[in-house]
Amino acid sequence: MTKHTVMPDAKETTMSQETRKAAFDRRSFFKALGAGAAVAASPAVVTPAAAVDPGKEETKGRYRESDHVKNFYRVNRY
Amino acid sequence: MARVKFLCDADRCIECNACVTACKNENEVPWGINRRRVVTINDGKPGERSVSMACMHCTDAPCAAVCPVDCFYTTADAVVLHSKDLCIGCGYCFYACPFGAPQYPKVGNFGSRGKMDKCTYCAGGPEADLSPAEFQKYGSNRLAEGKLPLCAEMCSTKSLLAGDGEIIAQIYKERVVKRGYGSGAWGWQTAYKETIAI
Repeated sequence: MTKHTVMPDAKETTMSQETRKAAFDRRSFFKALGAGAAVAASPAVVTPAAAVDPGKEETKGRYRESDHVKNFYRVNRY
Repeated sequence: MARVKFLCDADRCIECNACVTACKNENEVPWGINRRRVVTINDGKPGERSVSMACMHCTDAPCAAVCPVDCFYTTADAVVLHSKDLCIGCGYCFYACPFGAPQYPKVGNFGSRGKMDKCTYCAGGPEADLSPAEFQKYGSNRLAEGKLPLCAEMCSTKSLLAGDGEIIAQIYKERVVKRGYGSGAWGWQTAYKETIAI
């Protein structure tokens, strides 16, 4: 083995340790980010659906057979 | 509970457009929108037929099925209404409706069209009955006053029928029994002889 071959190995070892450290930091970061997202998506903070939810007052039947309506039916039978 | 419907007796419609005018005036419908229109088939030819068309208040309304914000609802008397507060003007209901009932106040794409407007069967909207806010957004609420849509009440030839579906169907049947239908109707042979049959 020459020094030429030893030197790059030593360098690689140092770099891989740094990379691992960096990777660990990045993973920690994403883990923390994921945990935060999970909290944000929990049912406790979900806003209610905006779809129309008409109550009984809106959907009640307004049609009634008043004298006015009966008169309409009568003249339409002519 | 009665299910209210429109029924246009095409044998009687004379294409006077009084229903269109009455609707626009009663509900103060904005420029560019016609909640009701008279469609004429074979216009100008012998045997032409006219039918007054608006929202048909479908039982399983396709507009409601495609609405991404679910702004449609059906009342207990089968009137299909919508909330303009929720409408985003996407135009899906216009594409879904087989009668071309949903319309928009502006020409544009998606939200720039403005809020969708359609026939309310003169039954207002989700706001409080007969309130100024309801009138401003949806027009008059004649059903709450014990009346029927003005288009039908104004019809000069009593062609357009509105009200309880069972009652107006009975009225139409009585008419057909008495006068016939299409080329079998009273007066048809005088007008067109044997040349045209429907």
